[in-house]
Amino acid sequence: MKKPKIAFFDFACCEGCQLQVANMGEGVLDVLAAFDVVEWREVMSEKWDKKYDVAIIEGSITDNHAVERITKIRKKANILIAYGSCATIGGVNGMKNNFELDDIRKYVYGESYKFFPTELTKAVHQVVKVDYFVNGCPVYIPEFVAILKAVLQGIPYYVPDYAVCVECKLNENICMYDKGVTCLGPVTRAGCNSWCINNGNICYGCRGMLSNPNEKSARDVLAKYNIPIELIINKMNMYNKCREII
Amino acid sequence: MEENQYVVLKKELFNDFITRLAGIKKLVAPVSKGFKNFAYEEVSSGEQIALKYIPTILPAKKYFMPQNETLLEFNTGKKSNVEAFVEYEPVTLFGLHTCDIAGIQCLNMALSERPKDYNYLSRKNFITIIGLECNEYCDEFASCHLVNADFPSGGYDLMFTDAGEYFIVHINTESGEEIVTNTEIFNKAETFHLNELIKIRENKRKIFSNEVPIERRHIPELFDRSFRSNVWKEVGERCLSCGNCTNVCPTCYCFDIRDELDLDMKHGRRYRVWDSCQLEPFAKVAGGFNFRKERFVRQRHRYYRKFRYPVDKFSRFFCTGCGRCTRTCMANISLKETLSQLVRESEDRVWKRWL
Repeated sequence: MKKPKIAFFDFACCEGCQLQVANMGEGVLDVLAAFDVVEWREVMSEKWDKKYDVAIIEGSITDNHAVERITKIRKKANILIAYGSCATIGGVNGMKNNFELDDIRKYVYGESYKFFPTELTKAVHQVVKVDYFVNGCPVYIPEFVAILKAVLQGIPYYVPDYAVCVECKLNENICMYDKGVTCLGPVTRAGCNSWCINNGNICYGCRGMLSNPNEKSARDVLAKYNIPIELIINKMNMYNKCREII
Repeated sequence: MEENQYVVLKKELFNDFITRLAGIKKLVAPVSKGFKNFAYEEVSSGEQIALKYIPTILPAKKYFMPQNETLLEFNTGKKSNVEAFVEYEPVTLFGLHTCDIAGIQCLNMALSERPKDYNYLSRKNFITIIGLECNEYCDEFASCHLVNADFPSGGYDLMFTDAGEYFIVHINTESGEEIVTNTEIFNKAETFHLNELIKIRENKRKIFSNEVPIERRHIPELFDRSFRSNVWKEVGERCLSCGNCTNVCPTCYCFDIRDELDLDMKHGRRYRVWDSCQLEPFAKVAGGFNFRKERFVRQRHRYYRKFRYPVDKFSRFFCTGCGRCTRTCMANISLKETLSQLVRESEDRVWKRWL
């Protein structure tokens, strides 16, 4: 079997998720043995102008240039993977959508703001078709590798549609709510093996919301712990503001 | 009660005993994790052990059926080759309450059914169980009397009962006997020790009483009447479907089996992970149909799997009264409360029929 040609591209993001691959250690050798990396600006200077078997997209789509570029990449790519929170759910860039776009432009570019057109931040799948989602900020490498295997086998990968609590409980962590700390685990999709909570942090909701949360009951639970709903919405919007765009 | 089945361990020798026990094979015991949370973890000395503890976050089932367990390793290609695996590790579990031992007894029954779960059954032979009797309730969530799990009734190798200055220890199996012989730290039990034990048990009978206003033998009938009860709707409305109740349950054993290939696509493994009937994808089948889509149906199923179905199949409840599901539920779904509501509702109906 010929090795599939794979390329990494970055849009609005910190490129930290690509760094996760570069930081994989020995594991990266297995990835390089299975794929032929033809373009990856962060680690190599070669470019590729033919078709890609797999295009990995990091970052969210925030202006018309990005829309054009991602559309071109989609046309050249057999399989397209949204990679990292910015790409899969809009991520922190989505916070822009809390404000009027003109206000944002003035704040960033001052008087010359008119030369810098912008758009509402979008996740990649809100612009072009996405075949696989690698959630997380940053991505969780074991899940990324699992998705690469699914790509090689030509089978779909299903992001777990249940709460981070499931994995967290299996890891036998003390519930953050027992510690008196607000955590987004109960409404966030699993798949990260409760990485943050295992290491003493809370869940920030970087993997996106459950498709069918029990909102009414969630409100009751917040009331039980005296947590104002505004606080939770604020916390959720840090990564998940883009879900409002249909 | 025969004297030769009992020995005594002085409290001041407890730490010595634990050190010796840890020298035999890997030793696991309840450890405090802070914030009123406990977990079974490996220990090497007596100071690490929390003798007074409420049920741990996960029950001891994690040693009998690990959260992620390899079943097969295989090669792909023309000369495909499959090798079955049983991962096991000799381990002694110390300090299990009677509820957790009842949980293991339930799993033993369910997983001995055909097709037998050889991975579970092989692994269990390498596990020694040392119980620790509760002389009083751990907290208000427990309902061990309701399900007859408040007193020791087998399923262990040794059972420790705290009698103040010393532990009275019941030897139940040969491997329990071996521990007593090998650690060389126990004394023979005298008649007054056994009288002390009888007194402790009598006192326990005063403390432990039905936590739900129903007689044990009437529970199956209650569930027969309650399938269409509104109580389930109400429980379903509150459920967040986080799966905590089943993951922490000592008798839940549902699992998912997955195959995983290496990146070279030449080797792979088949493994199983814990699954939960409370999760939305659990009962989703090919074509996208979900035969337990609604939360209340899933919750109802959980209760029937504890209090109704196993009564026919195994002649016992699959609830051990440990109270973990209630303690861990963020939405405050309480097992005792749900049963009490069913009882109340059922009584109402009976009355109405008479009037």
